[in-house]
Amino acid sequence: MKNVGASVIEIDQLTKTYGAVQAVRGISLRVEQGEIFGFLGPNGAGKTTTIRCMLDVIRPTSGAVRVLGLDAQHDRQALHQRIGYLPGDVRLPGEMTGKQVLNYFSQLQGLQPVLRDELVARFDVELKRPLKGYSKGMRQKIGIVLAFMCDPDLLILDEPTSGLDPLLQKTFNEFLLEEQARGKTVFMSSHIMSDVEKVCQRVAVIRRGELVTVERVEALREKAGQRITVEFAPDASVPVTELERVVGVSDVTLSKGSYHMSMSGPMDALIKALSRHEVLRLHVEEAPLEEVFLKFYEDVPTQQVKVDSVSR
Amino acid sequence: MATIATTRVAPQRRVRGLPVLVNALVNAKTLLGAGAFYAFFIALIVGFLYPSISQINIGAYLGSSAVSGLVGTGGVKITNFSTFSTLIAIELYGAFYGLIFGSIVAYIAGSALPLTIENGTLDLALARPFSRTRYYLELWGAALIASVVLCLLTLLSIWVCTLFVKDANINWQWLTVTQLIEMAFLVFSVGLGMLFGSFLNASRAAGGAAVGIIFLAYFMNTFGSLSNNFNWLLRIEPFYYAPGIQAFLTHDFTQWHPWVLIGVGLLCGLAGLAIFNRRDLPTT
Repeated sequence: MKNVGASVIEIDQLTKTYGAVQAVRGISLRVEQGEIFGFLGPNGAGKTTTIRCMLDVIRPTSGAVRVLGLDAQHDRQALHQRIGYLPGDVRLPGEMTGKQVLNYFSQLQGLQPVLRDELVARFDVELKRPLKGYSKGMRQKIGIVLAFMCDPDLLILDEPTSGLDPLLQKTFNEFLLEEQARGKTVFMSSHIMSDVEKVCQRVAVIRRGELVTVERVEALREKAGQRITVEFAPDASVPVTELERVVGVSDVTLSKGSYHMSMSGPMDALIKALSRHEVLRLHVEEAPLEEVFLKFYEDVPTQQVKVDSVSR
Repeated sequence: MATIATTRVAPQRRVRGLPVLVNALVNAKTLLGAGAFYAFFIALIVGFLYPSISQINIGAYLGSSAVSGLVGTGGVKITNFSTFSTLIAIELYGAFYGLIFGSIVAYIAGSALPLTIENGTLDLALARPFSRTRYYLELWGAALIASVVLCLLTLLSIWVCTLFVKDANINWQWLTVTQLIEMAFLVFSVGLGMLFGSFLNASRAAGGAAVGIIFLAYFMNTFGSLSNNFNWLLRIEPFYYAPGIQAFLTHDFTQWHPWVLIGVGLLCGLAGLAIFNRRDLPTT
């Protein structure tokens, strides 16, 4: 049963240093039960380090990590009974077959792999050949089955669609949403913005070990705004500055007779400004979220960290 | 396209067994095979050559301190080189036993843990309700079982020899004692390997480092036997505490010596366990 509002993951002031290198610097975040939470950031930002602290594969230098109400370090046995984990780079022993690997890890889990056969069928997983002949995508599919086969309450997925073809990415995203509908919580890191946009309710962006933002995807979408292209009648002479003065309009450029601009907020002022001229063509499209993410990746000072309310 | 059932049965508990131990033994099969080959090869060669060797006077050669240091007779003054027992003792239970089989099990133990880092299974295993301690102990157990297997194969190879060697006259009771003494050396080698494997991330480096220590100890044993001035070298290397050849040929040995090897092996292994439990594990 869904119990929206209870924190499944609580990270408080997590710091991890390796000698002089600070891989993660005092990050704090909450993930609620039943949500799919995206954890984004460029390579080396500290995503995998954070995930590995959650799994007690590495120990935090300072800070606390609680998962499913349990201390990630001291209660790891009880905690891991309820976690499914997919590493960023799924590497498996080449001499074993897929079937042997699934059996080995369900033995380690100490639980029957109740979803194994269905997952194998759904993701079309090859089980008979030794794994040394598997492509990255085939290994990734095995990794997905390993993470989900014992029906865990919480899924921690590090780049889950890496190496999957577009069709399987779609299948996986649909599957994630189905799992969410069953009350499962998913914490996933990803570089594929379109995946994040499709499945995540909230995202955190981490850069150089520091949390840049935690936002609802809808809020990010609003921030991204729209891209607008306007073509006026040939005799209309519209200065760029006139459009720049409109509330919510930015980045106005004139190219091949068309005006291109970004728009955020209500469009009423822009419509009224355009109506003073003869408009031949008006094209409005949603700005891709990728641009917002990339801005976070590139140039947002970390002092501007905004942690969204945990309410959903 | 298949879909996941909407109503699910909660996963039942299943018997765990010793999956890591079994998997480690499977990973060690090539090295175990090599060990079995050496055991049978040495025993059979001695068996086949025994009729000829027994006619040759090699006492002066094997009795010299340089050669006895290389062979690792442990200071035993061998007087009769013409018996099958003496030859098998020299060829199998001198320092060579520790050098060959100790190196094999040290490599198996040393590489066991880093191998699971390299093949990516350690991360996945520790993300499950499986403690680091149990994981380590199962790997340690696998290396010890490999040692027992090698000991049994050595005994088997000698028994096979006695089927076609006339007047082998093996004292099986003392041979068993000798084998137990050598087992103590293997316990030490396994502990040493586990220690290196607990903090090195590359299987070849960890296994190689443990083997390197065994070889270093062998050289110490060799030089220590050359002169009384170097006797102190013997006291600080493990071969001195595995007097297998002495037990087999003279039916006498210092009984606390093998316990030193077992003690040091256990200490090394436990130190490795402490390190493994505290350390951060790498992704590669």
